[in-house]
Amino acid sequence: MSDLRNKFSKWMENNFCGEYECLRGRATPGDEDAFPGLRLKWEREMGAAGWIGIGWPTEFGGKGATLDEIVGFNEEYASHGGPGRAGHIGETLLAPTIIAFGTDQQKARYLPGIKAGKEFWCQGYSEPNAGSDLSNIKTKASLENNQWVINGQKIWTSLAMDSDYIFVVARAAEGSKGRQGLVFLLVKLDQPGIEIRPIKQMSGTAEFNEVFFDGAVCSNEDIIGGVGDGWKIAMALLGFERGASTLGQQMTFADEFRQIVDLAKANGSAKNPLIRQRIAKSYAGLKIMRFTALRTLEAAEKGDTTKEGYISKIFWSSWHRELGELAMDVMGKEAEILKNGEYNKLQKLFLFSRSDTIYGGTNQIQRNIIAERALGMPKEPRGGGTVMKG
Amino acid sequence: MAYPFSSDHEMIREVLSDFLQNWYENGKGPERIYQSGKSFDENIWSRFAEDLGMAGVAISEDFGGGGLDDLGRVVVMEELGASLCAIPFLTTGGVVVDIISKIAKNQFKEEYLQKIAKGKIKGIFCPGHLSEEKKCINSANADTADFILISRLKNKIIEVVCLKVGTPGLEINSKKTIDPTRSFSDVDWSQVSDRDFLPIGTAEINFFTDIISQSQISLAAECVGGAQKCLDMTLEYTSQRVQFGRPIASFQAIKHRCADMFILIETARSAVYAAAVATKDKKTESSLIAKAYATEAFFKVAGDAIQLHGGIGFTWEYPLHLFFKRSRANRSMFGMPSEDYKLLADNIFGDKP
Repeated sequence: MSDLRNKFSKWMENNFCGEYECLRGRATPGDEDAFPGLRLKWEREMGAAGWIGIGWPTEFGGKGATLDEIVGFNEEYASHGGPGRAGHIGETLLAPTIIAFGTDQQKARYLPGIKAGKEFWCQGYSEPNAGSDLSNIKTKASLENNQWVINGQKIWTSLAMDSDYIFVVARAAEGSKGRQGLVFLLVKLDQPGIEIRPIKQMSGTAEFNEVFFDGAVCSNEDIIGGVGDGWKIAMALLGFERGASTLGQQMTFADEFRQIVDLAKANGSAKNPLIRQRIAKSYAGLKIMRFTALRTLEAAEKGDTTKEGYISKIFWSSWHRELGELAMDVMGKEAEILKNGEYNKLQKLFLFSRSDTIYGGTNQIQRNIIAERALGMPKEPRGGGTVMKG
Repeated sequence: MAYPFSSDHEMIREVLSDFLQNWYENGKGPERIYQSGKSFDENIWSRFAEDLGMAGVAISEDFGGGGLDDLGRVVVMEELGASLCAIPFLTTGGVVVDIISKIAKNQFKEEYLQKIAKGKIKGIFCPGHLSEEKKCINSANADTADFILISRLKNKIIEVVCLKVGTPGLEINSKKTIDPTRSFSDVDWSQVSDRDFLPIGTAEINFFTDIISQSQISLAAECVGGAQKCLDMTLEYTSQRVQFGRPIASFQAIKHRCADMFILIETARSAVYAAAVATKDKKTESSLIAKAYATEAFFKVAGDAIQLHGGIGFTWEYPLHLFFKRSRANRSMFGMPSEDYKLLADNIFGDKP
């Protein structure tokens, strides 16, 4: 075990206790609206101890941790039952983007707040008519008196209700289309021109939101890159998530799986040979998910980009959705019953996992990406209906 | 050079890939075997063993082998799978080499391993300790073997003995099989006189757990190689076949099926590589998973490849049926996937219903 991992493990043992006990294993996808206040306080705890941004370069207050160390950190966090990280969008997506493309002023202004666990970010990409076709962005930004004025709407914005800022991809060049003419802006949420409305999902929880912009503003200094760079920055941001957190996510999956096994033992469905086959296949899938992530990470550590990375999203989301179905079948007759009038953890898993194969790029879009980028097959026609050669 | 391979591994992959694809010749290689009525090609085996030194890829360098680890065999098996090359490496270069290396006395070791490495002799292993009967049903490559290793239970210790083919009373009856690229035979040694068995060593029962793991990994690697070849053929075909005025590879129905094939192949690949590099405590489980998953993946991918090739896919002339048949045959080796998953479930639940 690396020094850093060891140190963090001890820190978790000594600090993730007391009032934070109730957060154990909570706030995972499907449950991200649990204990909002306490979770933000927990982030400040992590920040004060220097555990946010460990992978950032030391000049920005990070520890310059290696990929192995970051993986170890995430695994320790998950194995101690740490709650879903309210600050992960700022820490693992926006901060590396600011470090790579931002101005010195932006680095000085925004990195400390993220590092301290005091300022939270959400991602303003999707719109009602820009889902799978993400570049069809209609939200407008225009530069007036040295500030950007934003009008439009974002949707499926995770954790907007707990966030202080949103990074917004908006259309700045009049008459531009698709990936052209976009800007990437850093916008404060607490202002008169912004309204946030939660979206209640079929799981009864509400971690996604709509964010409405009606003359909201940010300074001209809060643009990353220039006019027309928005798409490039937006895509680069998504590339910073190199999969180090997926191993932590898999430990959450492993907990869910274990809970289903325990239930099957307790209620006798473990005697059903078909359930046993499905449990075994689910277990094999979980292991293979881990092996694949490690393979991708090992390659990334050596500087290779490998094609199997493209399958990560569709594989875990499909596996997780099946786990939800398996959970219900293991529950059997009890699956339909609400105890205390509320969904239990496995019922929530079943319902929320229907969104896994949709958000962050649907399974259908993932198959397009795999076919086109990993297999070099012809690209989908765009707009005009002509087929482009791959 | 991609994780987890070293430059040594990559080198043998390159050499083997050229050599075997040359032999494969768009399916003509396996077809020639089929027409010849023999179950394998002596010539390709001796070149594979002698010229390329691959039969002994896992034999220690002290005995004239390549001295490579499980990953070395993974590379060889992937390439053999991609060419459906009908040579008995899985048995001779795999389980037989492992048993001799680990339990035989030096003299036997020296003689047999050196001969195997040079391609002079081929062997199979019959796990006789698993049954009261002195026979082994559907043993792969038995009809091409020069000697047979047999395990038998003696006071809770397993004794391995060697029997030369041609020993009076030993019967090897080869069978006609759906998959013409790998032979299966029944081996019966019940009529062999006791004094004809040459004892080569003894082992604890759990010794065979490791032996089985290695075979599972090799079989799974062969499946990955075969499945990859099926996908490659499909990508090539669909990019050239034009219907409705466009290559059919441009249709989402085709793209999505190919993407699913890729997902299966890459996850199977992860499972195989992970099992090959697994530490001792994780070897048994990861090999079982690799074998169960990869054999199912190959079968699915080979079937998909036929579907995406349209009419030509189900002809005898086109080689896809050979991959499909091999993929089905592999499901029957070392236990069916459903039996593997049953074992896995028993471990997960810690019971045995």
